[in-house]
Amino acid sequence: MARAGGLERQQALRIAFYAVPAAILMLAVFAVPLGTVVIQSFTSEASPGFTLASYAKILSATLFVRVSWKTLEITLLATAFALLLAYPLAYYMAQQPPRRRAMLMILVLVPFWTSVLVKSFAFTVILGQSGLVNTAISWLGLPPVKLLFNRIGVIIGMSHFLVPFMVFPILSNLLNQPRDLVSAASILGAGKWRIFWRVTLPLSMPGVMAGVLLVMILSLGFYVVPALLGGRQDMMLANLVDFYAREIIDWPMASALSVILMGTAAIAAIILSLIPGGSAILGGDER
Amino acid sequence: MVNRTTAAPMVHLDNVSKNYGAVQALRSTHLEVRRGEFLTLLGPSGSGKTTLLNMIAGMTGPSDGQIWIDGRDVTEVPPSRRGIGMVFQNYALMPHMTIFQNIAFPLEIRRIPADEIRQRVMKVLEIVRLPNVAERKPKELSGGQQQRVSLARCIVYNPSLILMDEPLGALDKNLRDQMQLEIRRLHSELGITIVYVTHDQEEALNMSDRIMLMNGGSVEQLDTPHDLYYAPRTRFAAEFIGRSSLIPSEMIGGGQARLNDGSVVRVNRGANAGKGHLMVRPESMRLVQAGNVDAGMNALQGTLQGTLVTGGSITHFVAHSSNTTLIVQELANERRTAFTSGEQISVTWPVDAGIFLDR
Repeated sequence: MARAGGLERQQALRIAFYAVPAAILMLAVFAVPLGTVVIQSFTSEASPGFTLASYAKILSATLFVRVSWKTLEITLLATAFALLLAYPLAYYMAQQPPRRRAMLMILVLVPFWTSVLVKSFAFTVILGQSGLVNTAISWLGLPPVKLLFNRIGVIIGMSHFLVPFMVFPILSNLLNQPRDLVSAASILGAGKWRIFWRVTLPLSMPGVMAGVLLVMILSLGFYVVPALLGGRQDMMLANLVDFYAREIIDWPMASALSVILMGTAAIAAIILSLIPGGSAILGGDER
Repeated sequence: MVNRTTAAPMVHLDNVSKNYGAVQALRSTHLEVRRGEFLTLLGPSGSGKTTLLNMIAGMTGPSDGQIWIDGRDVTEVPPSRRGIGMVFQNYALMPHMTIFQNIAFPLEIRRIPADEIRQRVMKVLEIVRLPNVAERKPKELSGGQQQRVSLARCIVYNPSLILMDEPLGALDKNLRDQMQLEIRRLHSELGITIVYVTHDQEEALNMSDRIMLMNGGSVEQLDTPHDLYYAPRTRFAAEFIGRSSLIPSEMIGGGQARLNDGSVVRVNRGANAGKGHLMVRPESMRLVQAGNVDAGMNALQGTLQGTLVTGGSITHFVAHSSNTTLIVQELANERRTAFTSGEQISVTWPVDAGIFLDR
């Protein structure tokens, strides 16, 4: 077996070789700056050397606490909204013949062809005071609705971006459910609704959980959407980082905030990798 | 309303057919399954047996024809309202429910009170001999146990008809034999009607009251296992079930068939004219020393090619000059004198053991 093991190691090395260029790139543009951020978060302008001053300041700042709650609130709201939109869509797609389903998948992915920034500007055109939606509303003789620079704008903008991330884990779960279970439930006397509530939905919970966590991880770091579509009230943690970095110009504070944000997302990602089917969504093995 | 409990057959297919686009999965078929009968749909894959079963279940609708269950036209009725049971090859137990919840599921749908549900679930678990698994999940049970739970889930709501789609296909040989007995026992104890699908001829022969042999989307023969084995009506039936010698020949009148080497044998069953095959089952044939043939028996000369001894039986393969291999099966303890390979011998069989098949 030692020989076989050696061969395996050789093969592993050969495969690793192909990852070298990407690894160097990631090291240069990701790991190094990230390390700098982490180190910087433990410094202070007042005194040289290692200090926890920034963290202490953050944790005692009312602004941080308020923005954290806001971030959590917006994240949960956007996630719930994305789930509400994505589940019926995934369910519908799972019922379609493969060719039609492939087309629908492309349609779901269309929003990715444009950057979040461009989409957010597009939303200001659609949702603005004299935008598409309000024009239509005024034609109906109704008073205009404020859809922009408030919570509604943020949730619309975020959900739009997040729905595909919710659709795919759920769809993949629904497609992997054994067909026979629905047939069996039907023969046993269950109607369509009962089959959905008692069989399909409970069995899809791992997919839902995976989608929810993935979308929450993404939501935590949202910056452009709340900045462009939200009001003063809708500041999220990423916007707070920006605030410290550019307006107050307190780099250690901005760094410490980033580290906290990253840690939160990392914990969520670890939970995601532990639920069945979740690791596949993070790019791991489907096992 | 007619007195349907006595008059009508359990299942009645009236000229039912199924097309998938241009492909004809099932040609126009007529079938009556009697009350309390164990009927098996037997055939190779693609023969239409599963299509037929799915149509009785209501999973697919027929392209043409009508389906009656228990005297009721159910052609347009969804599976959930046909009141039948079904057992699947991969058990189809709900993985997120306990065994108890799985079996209680059809009873909940029928709005049975909770205490009665408990009683009935426990009783069927006794019947399938799994009294202690109620709180377990399906994946904690072995394949055979899961299939018994699936049977329990089926009989708990007393359907008068149960469909089984290769229910033993995923089990190993020993378990399969045991489950065959189990299903037979349930069938006779509960007096239910069973329509069973399999591609395993041995299973079909063991279990069925009648077998409907299917091939290429149509019915080849519908008969008791005995008649299907001893009186096949087509070459396909003869070859699919058991082993046989099929000798190309032609009926020449007067109850005689001429083989393509010119030799003539007597035949008194099957078609009495035309070209086709003379079929004889291996256990009807005997090996004798060349020329030492009893009067009244058919005989062909041949060369012994080889002999296989499998436990209690011996199988001889004999090459005949009509370019056919004759298969002869004898019990091991019948004879002591052994023949050697390459020896010229005679193969004999009683006249009425042969059947002439023109299809």
